[in-house]
Amino acid sequence: MLESVLTISLGAILINNFIFSQFLGCCPFLGCSTKIDTAVGMGIAVPFVLGLSSAICYVVNELLVSLELGYMSTLAFILVIAVLVQFVEMFLKKSIPSLYTALGIYLPLITTNCAVLGVVLLNVQNNYNFIESVVYGVTGGLGFMVAIVLFASVRDRLQFADYPESFEGFPIALVTAGLLALAFMGFSGMRIG
Amino acid sequence: MTETKKSSNQIVKLALILFVVSAITSGVLGVVNYFTKDIIAMRRAEARAEAYQAVLPYDGEYTSVSFDEEAWETVDAISQAGGEGYVVELTFSGAQGSINAAVGVDSAGAITGVSIIEHAETSGLGAKITEDSFRSQFVGQTLGMALSKNGGEIDSITAATISSQAIVDACNTAIEVVESLG
Amino acid sequence: MNLKQQFKEGLITNNPVLVQRIGMCSTMAITTSLFNGLGMGLSVLIILTCCNVAISALRKAIPNDIRLAIFVVVIAGFVTIVDLLLQAYIPALSASLGVFIPLIVVNCIIIGRAEAFCQHEPVGPSFWDGIFQGFGYTVVLVCMCLIRELLGSGTFGGGLIDITEGFRLTLDGSGAGIRIFPETYGATILLMPFGGFLTLASLLAAMQYALRKSAEKKEAAERAAKVEVVKEAANNA
Repeated sequence: MLESVLTISLGAILINNFIFSQFLGCCPFLGCSTKIDTAVGMGIAVPFVLGLSSAICYVVNELLVSLELGYMSTLAFILVIAVLVQFVEMFLKKSIPSLYTALGIYLPLITTNCAVLGVVLLNVQNNYNFIESVVYGVTGGLGFMVAIVLFASVRDRLQFADYPESFEGFPIALVTAGLLALAFMGFSGMRIG
Repeated sequence: MTETKKSSNQIVKLALILFVVSAITSGVLGVVNYFTKDIIAMRRAEARAEAYQAVLPYDGEYTSVSFDEEAWETVDAISQAGGEGYVVELTFSGAQGSINAAVGVDSAGAITGVSIIEHAETSGLGAKITEDSFRSQFVGQTLGMALSKNGGEIDSITAATISSQAIVDACNTAIEVVESLG
Repeated sequence: MNLKQQFKEGLITNNPVLVQRIGMCSTMAITTSLFNGLGMGLSVLIILTCCNVAISALRKAIPNDIRLAIFVVVIAGFVTIVDLLLQAYIPALSASLGVFIPLIVVNCIIIGRAEAFCQHEPVGPSFWDGIFQGFGYTVVLVCMCLIRELLGSGTFGGGLIDITEGFRLTLDGSGAGIRIFPETYGATILLMPFGGFLTLASLLAAMQYALRKSAEKKEAAERAAKVEVVKEAANNA
């Protein structure tokens, strides 16, 4: 059990990083990474939501499968995620206002983050059990956090870099992300057990 | 007072509209599912049967064999093809996701063929595990086979060592599980 | 809003990927062979058109407060239908695109067009908007595929074209494509995630270059016209 949890965590954070190897969650990755503060905020919000939605969607999926409604899963998942994010937002606003002010604006953005739906679908595809699903969700989110914080730090220095004018803005950011992806490829040789 | 009443009415109305839209969508999905369900199941069965025939051709019926499922985590099913040997179906992780493959093992413990039923490897790289030139190397191999860079006889796919290694491991597992049957 | 203008918007001036910069996950993830790119592009085109029409038809009945929830339900419905149909009739494509088919639900292109266009416009223009925006997306995907496949593995039309026994289109993704140069010379790195980022970056840069050049040209022409006017005035005086 411990071994599988370790394998999943290491795989999700480094080897099959959501951004650099699976291309899940690229929109917020590119959109929220111009400042390090924003990147950290987003980075904290994502593992939280990913873990929570993995847990709830696992139950939903079990229910759907037992009713032989497996084909409805995409529809059910996206609704559950949307409602969940709304609830988390309301809950934080009432009980932990300080956290809400820190994460508030990122939460609604997460609904359209394909990493959330992606992680839930991958949990089903990989036949993970409850614990494995939650671990995959949380560590996948941590992988996202690592990626976005690294990326924002590099992007910060881009203002002083001298690159062709046509690459201004988005293209150079993509090249940077590509180079980070290249660095993360080094992890793909790693294996546990 | 009237205002709260109005707003609660409003919420009921919104919930009703959302409910109706969801109900219609679910209904349509149910109909589509009803018509495609059998075709999808048939396709899956066909793909499986084809893979079985490709790795260990057998005219009769494959009979399912029971084994210790706890000890062999990656093994999904074992089928006996009369006296010819066994087809072992495995699901294991490749470089990107799970790989579902059928491996034929003859009565002497040598591989008769490998067929990939489902995989999620990168196309152009790891996806080449489905190509004949890679899979045919396994025919005749016995327990302990390895990639050529580890001193074995299997040439790994360029830039896809992990996917290649995963198949090698699966084949070794298949032979071991068949041997464990006695 | 006429058709010609809508076509130009979808393809160039308001291209979903190159200009609006949405839907990039799938653009980078699945563009490793022409078969994948074309399959994904057409799936999105079909889903986008259906969603546009449905949402535009319902636009007067959808309350503003819960419009996003309704959009999502409608989109998820169409995506699941396409997913089921692909599984039944083109299983190879469904296997090859994997989780990216259900992920079309959260592809910003579809919800973006619903929000920006269909909730205000009648059914006709929404239909064409779906076709043209989907077409613009498909064109970018196909470009990405052609570049990555050619430079990465040295083939053209992988999965879609088979020439071993004469020219043949393969719809089961089994074709090996047309070999342009030997595989050993291919830059495999382009097929990996790095290649996805780099190719999209290059396309975006090319687009920016083209837009800047055309703006400069326009400016130069305007300046020249002004100089003409001044000269004429000087001559007259």
